[in-house]
Amino acid sequence: MKKRFLLCTVLAASLATFKATAATMPADTGKTAAPAADPPLVFSGSVDTYYKADFSGHSNIPTSFANENNSVSIGMIDLALKKKVGKAAFVGELSFGPRSDQSIPTSGYHIQNLYVSYDVTDKFNLTAGYMATFVGYEVISPAGNFNYSTSYLFTSGPFQNAGFKATYAFSDKVSLMAGIFNNQWNYYSSLNAAKTGSGDVSTFGAQLMVAPVKGWTAYLNLVTGSYSGTEFDLTTAYQITNAFKLGVNAATFSAPNNGGGFEGVALYPQIAVSPIVTFGLRGEYFKVKDNGGDVKAITVTSNIKAGPLTVIPEVRFDTKSDAFGAAFTDSNGMATNHASQFVLAAVYAF
Amino acid sequence: MKKLTAVLVFVLLAGAAFAQKDSLAFDENNKYIYYQVVQQPGLAVDTLFNRALYFFKTAYPKSALKLDAVDRDKGSLTGSGSFLVSKKSLLTSHEDGSVTFTMRIDIKEGKYRYWLTDFVFNPYQRNRYNAYESIPGIYIPLEKPEGKIEKKDLAAYLNGVLTSSRKIGEKLKEYMTKVSAIKKDVGVKKISTKDW
Repeated sequence: MKKRFLLCTVLAASLATFKATAATMPADTGKTAAPAADPPLVFSGSVDTYYKADFSGHSNIPTSFANENNSVSIGMIDLALKKKVGKAAFVGELSFGPRSDQSIPTSGYHIQNLYVSYDVTDKFNLTAGYMATFVGYEVISPAGNFNYSTSYLFTSGPFQNAGFKATYAFSDKVSLMAGIFNNQWNYYSSLNAAKTGSGDVSTFGAQLMVAPVKGWTAYLNLVTGSYSGTEFDLTTAYQITNAFKLGVNAATFSAPNNGGGFEGVALYPQIAVSPIVTFGLRGEYFKVKDNGGDVKAITVTSNIKAGPLTVIPEVRFDTKSDAFGAAFTDSNGMATNHASQFVLAAVYAF
Repeated sequence: MKKLTAVLVFVLLAGAAFAQKDSLAFDENNKYIYYQVVQQPGLAVDTLFNRALYFFKTAYPKSALKLDAVDRDKGSLTGSGSFLVSKKSLLTSHEDGSVTFTMRIDIKEGKYRYWLTDFVFNPYQRNRYNAYESIPGIYIPLEKPEGKIEKKDLAAYLNGVLTSSRKIGEKLKEYMTKVSAIKKDVGVKKISTKDW
């Protein structure tokens, strides 16, 4: 009797549930909700590996990273943690490997980002710590770049700036950042601070962001200080259609005490031919001031995605003037003004 | 034993029917829609309307949901908003993008209905500070993912849309049930230990 009663109760509950559903829903697609639980700590990162073949048989192109020729080599493993509670957040990002070593001037130091931030209001944010630079189009993390090799502008500009900055968003279309940073780029401490305690936080940095139309953002950057010099930088990208994007980076740098500098411009057109495959070109002109010569570089890159894995085949052709400092040599070891290379890289981001 | 098996089968069926209750559907224009009708017997149109208005104005920050239009004569309110979606794994989770939507609430005597639709995906990318931010200019209606979103990713995003829609619906239900319950100004109760 008890079992029969139980059976009837379950049957009635089933029918009642089904009836309630049928009365309120249109045709069903069968999608049901996944359990939602935000992790308290966000963990992300990437690893990358590559094979490079310079057509001369030895490395020529002097830009950052991916330097080993005719070798299956590695970039870096990048591990990042971040957390935000209310208005306060932190990011800590560690990296290990040749790419990490070449991106950080302090030996044995493995931090790419370490900063804390606080949203004073919805529009006003304060951030302090050691941060990737706000200058330039390309970044250290291979997961943040389209091309695997890097530009001369990226290689010559700052990688990181340690300091304190305030950002105010006037609207979705305009924001302004201003901050004070350590006197030397890339280091986590100011010049001589460790040795004499007399370092200083004397570099001024500012960034004006404007988004004139939907899909177009532009950043006008300034970093200036008596120790590291002054760089003006324009970084902009316009997603003209869902498939086509055009990026531009232009910069001019003046070293302190009339010590020369550089200037250049790079274009980054990219077209997605499917959700998996995108083709892109980087065309760069880079000039060293005070008759230091110039170089033109064309890089053709594809990104082929398989979930979190991106395979990056890339060919690159550089042509320099006689006065340009880098020494290109051909397969016979003779001086030349041309260098070219092929890279096949794989970047896994999570 | 047979009876026990039958009981288990019915329990599973009941569970399956319940799981289907919060599903996304296609509307008459073949657009994804999260649609619910809720009975609220005994409550006047004005009361429900004011509660719905209060919901739009206070339930979320304006960046997440804002009121766009009100038609008191027709008893309808329309708003728009956005939420984040991501593909989650055991250890890692970051935003893959945001989904914008429109939300409409219609009020009648003793009941209301609401729906969320016009779901448009905007992908995010990692920036130099290890934060994920919007890729400006790429806006993909979830009904037209062909050539733009991979199937596996789309399934994850639709699940995210459903989860977020359900949460918004639950919050609306709280507001529509009893406004005073929303104002959580509950002070700490005082207890005297002298008399007992």
